[in-house]
Amino acid sequence: MNQSSSPKIGLLAVLTVIGITLCAFSIGFFALPSVSGPGNAWERMCRAAGFVSAKAASGGEAALPAYTTVVIPAAAMKTGGADQIGHGATLALRCTSCHGAQGMSGADAPNLAGQYSEVIYKQLVDFQRGARIDAVMGAMVATLSDQDMLDLAHYYASLPQIEPDRALEQAPALVRVGDPMRSIAPCASCHGRNDGKVGAPALDGQPKLYLERQLTAFSSGTRRNDANAVMRGEVSQMTTAEIATVTDHYASH
Amino acid sequence: MPVRAVIKARWLVLAHFWGAFVVFIGALMLGEWQMLLRSPLHAWIVIPEHYYRSVTGHGTVMAYVFPMLIAMGFGYAIVELSLKQALIGIRWAWAAFAVAVVGALMAAAAVALGGATVLYTFYPPLIGSPFYYIGIVLVVVGSWIWVGLMAVNLRAWRRRNVGQPVPLAMYANVAGAYLWAWTAVGAALEILFQILPVALGFKTTIDAGLARVLFSWTLHAIVYFWLMPTYIAFYVIVPRAIGGRLYSDIMARLSFALFLVFAMPIGIHHLFADPEVGSGFKYVHSVFTAMVVIPTLLTVFTICASVEIAARLRGGQGLLGWLRALPWRNPAMLGLTFSFLMLGLGGAGGLINMSYQLDSTIHNTQWVTGHFHLIFAGAVVIMYFIIAYDLWPHLTLKVLGQSGLIRLQLWLWFIGVLVMTLPWHLAGLLGMPRRMAYFDFTNPALASQAWTVTAAVIGGAFMLLSGLLFVFILARAHFQPRAQLSEYRFSVPVHMPVTIPKALNGFAVWVCLMIALTLVNYGIPVLQLIRANTSVPAVLYFNR
Repeated sequence: MNQSSSPKIGLLAVLTVIGITLCAFSIGFFALPSVSGPGNAWERMCRAAGFVSAKAASGGEAALPAYTTVVIPAAAMKTGGADQIGHGATLALRCTSCHGAQGMSGADAPNLAGQYSEVIYKQLVDFQRGARIDAVMGAMVATLSDQDMLDLAHYYASLPQIEPDRALEQAPALVRVGDPMRSIAPCASCHGRNDGKVGAPALDGQPKLYLERQLTAFSSGTRRNDANAVMRGEVSQMTTAEIATVTDHYASH
Repeated sequence: MPVRAVIKARWLVLAHFWGAFVVFIGALMLGEWQMLLRSPLHAWIVIPEHYYRSVTGHGTVMAYVFPMLIAMGFGYAIVELSLKQALIGIRWAWAAFAVAVVGALMAAAAVALGGATVLYTFYPPLIGSPFYYIGIVLVVVGSWIWVGLMAVNLRAWRRRNVGQPVPLAMYANVAGAYLWAWTAVGAALEILFQILPVALGFKTTIDAGLARVLFSWTLHAIVYFWLMPTYIAFYVIVPRAIGGRLYSDIMARLSFALFLVFAMPIGIHHLFADPEVGSGFKYVHSVFTAMVVIPTLLTVFTICASVEIAARLRGGQGLLGWLRALPWRNPAMLGLTFSFLMLGLGGAGGLINMSYQLDSTIHNTQWVTGHFHLIFAGAVVIMYFIIAYDLWPHLTLKVLGQSGLIRLQLWLWFIGVLVMTLPWHLAGLLGMPRRMAYFDFTNPALASQAWTVTAAVIGGAFMLLSGLLFVFILARAHFQPRAQLSEYRFSVPVHMPVTIPKALNGFAVWVCLMIALTLVNYGIPVLQLIRANTSVPAVLYFNR
């Protein structure tokens, strides 16, 4: 038994594969796109290849709604140095009347002690850019530099966090397992206990009034700085009674 | 020529096989636990994180570690048994094994500690602990050393046998190795350039669309890498084990060569629902997925013909009467039959998955889970069992023991796979999503689907029992009396081909086609996504 030097099978294979490729591409990029869709032949071909023009992507309209554009830098995700925390603590003196001397609010503003640094940073930037609207906060952050906001975030993150005092099993069902049939994910999957997601705040011990206002704002769409509309999607399915139940749970930690 | 009853590198092969089977049993237990949790037989899991942790462990072992160790161990055995030469680079082979084991342990630790619950398909923008990804990279590095060793050994043999046809087993084995080398590049690019920079803290955003396209490059071809040892066993073990001959040597080579060409440029059929990828490329990938039918049907035809030859050699008569003359009590015959039945059912389901329109009815449903368990756990793994049974006496030098127990083991596995996966297909058609930690079966809309999950628990129990029996049979063999071994043989064809076309004695044409088609079918989607830069903030899954 010997090796034949005839190259025919190899050549045949190459030609066949080229033929199949040409057929598939002509159907996929010329024949099928020519059947439907707006634009001329070239635009339709580009679309079939995945290239979408900016005009088409924005639905033909130039104006976009206010939208959060924060990209969290690596620096916001690390523990701050002593100098950053010190600088942040100095800046934080102007926050104390609402957020409390040690980041524990007596005024139904959110408690910031132990809050994750990237959460605080993101909200400050959103306030500054108008992606989250609040008359007081908008004025407070107007003059802060990026470094100021990072340092404030590191300062509050360095303070002790409120620990939940109950087992997760005792939490309401929505917190623990959500409601899959209504596409409501468990709160605990992003806000801690089951899992924490970057950008999702710790909620234990937050004032009930604040939590309720935020959930209602997400529900009505007046607050819209949640990435990918995740909170708006969750809360729009919840009843007033359910909002009361979960906020009760977190407020009473 | 020396008689090769004993595989010289037998400890190397045994280490790979035992490593594979130990992790296999662990992952099998996790799988059964997962199904029990989701079923109406068990209360809802309070912490779904634990379920997904288990899914990640199960998938990582079953998709990467287990088949890789089997392919590597089987590959080393094939070098000795088919080329009739001692394995060149045995130290490298041990080093590759050590690297793969360290990698697997590292990844397992990251998953077990809850630092990488990202499932084996990674799912960016989820980002887990860097130890998980580095562990996977190490496993792949180990397998790449194996690829190199297969090439080196083939080259050494060629130098001493100029112009001679490469033995079929080795030809197929090297085809599998080259397939894997190029397949793994997609996921490697994703891990090295996209995921690890985020996991290590150098970046905070990741382009999930691009990551999915790169992973799809690996995701479908890896299935053919899993299939390779199974197909090799179809061609070079089964016909001999049932006392027949291989119908055609050339047809076998062509099948393996075509797998090399068509396995790769088809992965985007996993992304039919991804908005970032253009519909033109989805169509083209659909067409090439359909081309895989050619080597598959070539194989089905050749193997059925080989089986018929065996039956007629045993006195089988008539149009279909020869079926009765087959050695049904032979484990290889039984394994092949089960494997083909499951491959046929799974392949039929696969036709739905790969068609651009039909996929939308079952996309991301339990149907898909049913499909790949039927193909991989069913058609593929049952032949891994046969490979182990066939090689075991030559690896341990001991007799294997009664084939009654082996037949029971194969039956249990076959029944288990069907009882588990067929109801899953139905559940998928009813709309049950995959990757769910629990279902509310008290809800009237879901109550009628509850039995499918219960059936999966029962099927899984059969499979777990079968897996334990399998390991018991192999372990017991080590304590059996010494076997009287004759030379190990692979199947011989009915007609030894007089000449072999040059293209089917080497890989140049097929590897060139494989790379060219990948570039044609993936080049533009990858470039388009790099240009569009649709990065999103990464979701870190581990404690900083």
